[in-house]
Parts: sequence; structure tokens; C-alpha cells
Amino acid sequence: MAYFLFAGDMLVMAFMMIVVVWVSLKSSKKSMQKTAQIPLNDEQRDG
Amino acid sequence: MADPAKSLSVEIYSDRIVTVLVMFSIFWAVLGMFAGVYVAAQLIWPELNFDNPWISFGRLRTFHTNVVIFGFAVSALMGTAYYSVQRTCHVRLFAPNLAWFTCWAWQIAILLGGLSLLGGLNTSKEYAELEWPFDIAITVVWVCFAIVFFGTIAKRRIKEIYISNWFYGGLIIVIAMLHIVNSMELPVTLTKSYSLYAGAQDAIVQWWYGHNAVGFLLTGGFLGMMYYFLPKQAERPIWSYRLSIVAFWAFAYSYIWAGPHHLHFNAIPEWVQNLGVIMSLILLAPSWASMVNGIMTVSTAWEKLRTDPALKFIVLALAFYGLATFEGPMMAIKSVNVISHFTDWTVGHVHSGALGWNALITFGTFYFLVPRLVGAKLYSVRLANIHFWMALAGTILYIVAMWGAGVSQGVLWLALDQIGELRYSFTDIMAAMNPYYLLRFIAGLIFLLGAMLMAFNFSMTIIGRRTIAVRPPMLTESMA
Repeated sequence: MAYFLFAGDMLVMAFMMIVVVWVSLKSSKKSMQKTAQIPLNDEQRDG
Repeated sequence: MADPAKSLSVEIYSDRIVTVLVMFSIFWAVLGMFAGVYVAAQLIWPELNFDNPWISFGRLRTFHTNVVIFGFAVSALMGTAYYSVQRTCHVRLFAPNLAWFTCWAWQIAILLGGLSLLGGLNTSKEYAELEWPFDIAITVVWVCFAIVFFGTIAKRRIKEIYISNWFYGGLIIVIAMLHIVNSMELPVTLTKSYSLYAGAQDAIVQWWYGHNAVGFLLTGGFLGMMYYFLPKQAERPIWSYRLSIVAFWAFAYSYIWAGPHHLHFNAIPEWVQNLGVIMSLILLAPSWASMVNGIMTVSTAWEKLRTDPALKFIVLALAFYGLATFEGPMMAIKSVNVISHFTDWTVGHVHSGALGWNALITFGTFYFLVPRLVGAKLYSVRLANIHFWMALAGTILYIVAMWGAGVSQGVLWLALDQIGELRYSFTDIMAAMNPYYLLRFIAGLIFLLGAMLMAFNFSMTIIGRRTIAVRPPMLTESMA
């Protein structure tokens, strides 16, 4: 049972590592820069 | 997403709720820290409990942790999440009345929950001490919080979801999961329940909850705060947006495994303990990625640190965040843990995160937020600067005192005499702790007085003023 759980844990970990790599490679530099600007222009104050 | 063509001029951000949550957060901070200082004093002068069970150490210490975590920290997270999610989505809050419900219901739950702890009702599970009626109330409020937050994201006017929302979203989802699973219990009366789990399973579930409550609430939630408010204050975008995304996912997958390091040398499987060590060490990478990202963001705006007390608090908080997230994985290593576990070193580690990271970044954020919410200047920048130095001194003294106490305890507990028996009795070691406990009490007092100064400063800033109306910006083609 312990080995079964351990193997399952390792599989999940491998999956998550793939997710991290995929997420980090998928977006273009341009879109990243655009998103990073969001907090700098997010409200309009009168006066 | 909503139609960007809709008139933005009539839509106003729901900021009054943010003001109220900030005020509640400060109230709970002062109350919770006062309770902390009082229990610290009881460790030196036990007669301060006046033989009154309501203010005995066991009850008041639990009251302290619950009020600062769930009152101060969660109110701050809720308020800043509501503030930033509207702005990063360019829409007002989804279901504002429901948001008001989350605000008031949460405060009532903390008030009644705190009183129940002082009254002696306690499940005995750390950071989950509140009895089952409060567990249900917390679940209901949290689900409503999720509806408001994710509802706002669903109706956003810009395509991208900014990184702070990923962290706040992670906080909301994971805390819901942890709270529900760990709070599975059998009620036997209105005020007493027993956990559904038993023995080692109960311990594993409890520390899966306990560690990740620290992870996703006190770390992830506050990283969300940092990723929004640091660029705002530095007036620069985050240094590497890509790194922030990688850090988020790496953080989310590695934190959840690290809980078993709280159970070293206990009756849980060896491989579970070892997995906890490995994942704790891996955790250092995403933790420091966010710290580096934050520091590098400020690195081109150092001159602002001279004049902006809010930014000073946040940068210092990042330094303590780096310290605490380095210390944590080190303490998870078994050969270190054999000395540190069950000692005041753990208390010092927790407070380097709680005071140095959570409290300081919240104070910095509030110094930025409060004047903007009411459209006025801060009452006194000088008082804010004094507060900064008091907070720094209090935090450092506290950590140093607890390091000294913890290492002494660990070494003295393990010391053997020539025939292999324990060299020092428990009472010998407790007596040796007095100087450290006195220093800790003084440190806590300094920190508390600083927080009271901040409360006074904000009261003078807010008094006689109302939350001002702020609208989403007109969308340009590139943003839509």
C-alpha cells in the first residue's frame, strides 16, 4: 500500500512539473509584458 | 467577460467595503497582539492569570493565534483581494451585497469564536480550534467570498488574469479544501465534537491542514498582496512576470506536500516524513523566486524608500519573507529538527513569518491604501516612520530571543550525564528561559505599541472623511 501511494505521489509530482514547464513556456513575452502593466493603469480618479 | 463598450463612467469600484475590512483588520491586530503580549507576560509572571480561567494561558494563547490569523490576517486578505480584483479586472465587485455579508459575517464569527475559545470550547486541533458550529459558519462565509471573487473575475473587462488574482484564488480554493477536510467531525453536543479521523491519520490530516493554512493563507495570500501592491507603490511593473507565474505553480504543487515535517520522529510512515523533508527543501525555490522578483522590482526605485514609509514596510517584509522561507526548509531537515522541534525556535520561526512578513506587508499595504481610500494625505508620515523602526526592532528582538531560547532548550533537553540519564530537569530548563521570555515580552510590547501608533495615525487620517468614488479607467484598445 505504501509503495502504491508513493508511486501515485511521484506521478502527481511529475504531472505538476510538466504543468509548471508548460505554463512558463506557453505565453509570449509581449503578452507577459502587457499583463504586468495591469496594476499601473487600473483606476480613474476625479480631481 | 463583460462588454467593454458598456459605459464605464457610471461604474464605481466597491471600495467602502475595503475601508471597513481594513478597519476591522487593524482592530483585530491590536486586540490579538495585546493578547499575545499578555500571554508572553504570563510566562514570566504566571500570577497574571489571576486564577481566572478565561484569561489562563491555554485559552488566551489560542485566542491570540485565532484573532491574529483569522481576524487580522483574513480581514486584510479579504479587503485587499476585493480592492485588487476589481482593479485588475476593471469592474466593480460581483454581488456587492454578498461581499458585505462576507465582511460582517466574518467579523461576527471571529468575535463569537474568540469568546468561545476564552470560554474553554476547543477542538484541540491547532489553528482549527473552533467548534463545529463555527466551522460551518466559516465554510458558508468562505464560499460566499469565493462567489464574489471568482464572480468578479468572470465578468472582467480585460482578458488576462493578473498574477495577484492567481494567488488570491489559490488561497480561496485551497483553504476551502483544507478547512472542510480537516473539520470533518462528529458533533455530540452544540459545543463539543470529535474528529472523524483517529490516531496517526488525524495527525497527518491536521498537519496537512496546519502547514498549508500557513502556506496558502499566510504565504500565498500575502504574495497576492505583494504582487499587486508592490508594483503600485514602486510605480513599476513586476520585474519578471514569467517568473511570477512559474513561482505560483511551483509554490502550489510543492507546498501541499510539506506538512509531514511537523510530525518528524512520530508514529507516521518514515517515507511520509522523508517526503515532507524533500518537498520542504524544494519549496525554497518558488519561495525565493517571489522574493527575488519583489526585490528586483524595487531595485530601480530605491530612492522611493527614503520618502515612502509604505514601501519601506513592504521591502522589509520581503527580507523577512526570505529569512523565514529559508529557515523553514532548514528546520524540516531531521538532524536540525531533532533540536528545534517542540522548542521556542519554532515559535521564533513562526513569528519571523507572522511579524516580519505578514504584519509588515499588511502595514505597508495599509499605509498605501488608507489615504487613497479616503482621498487624503496620511495624518503623519513621521509617526509612520517611527512605527517602521518599532516594528523592525520588535521583530528582530523577538526572533533573537526565541532563537536563543529554542537552541538552549534543544541542547539542554538532549544533554545526558555520565550514566546516560537526562542531565537537566524540565523545571531547570524552564528557569533558564526567563531572560529570553523577558526579552520576548519587551519585543512584543514594542511591536504592539507600533501597531497602536498606526491605528491612531489611520484614525486621524480617516476621521470625518468618507471613502471616495474611483472608477475603472477608460479601456484602450491594447488593454481590452
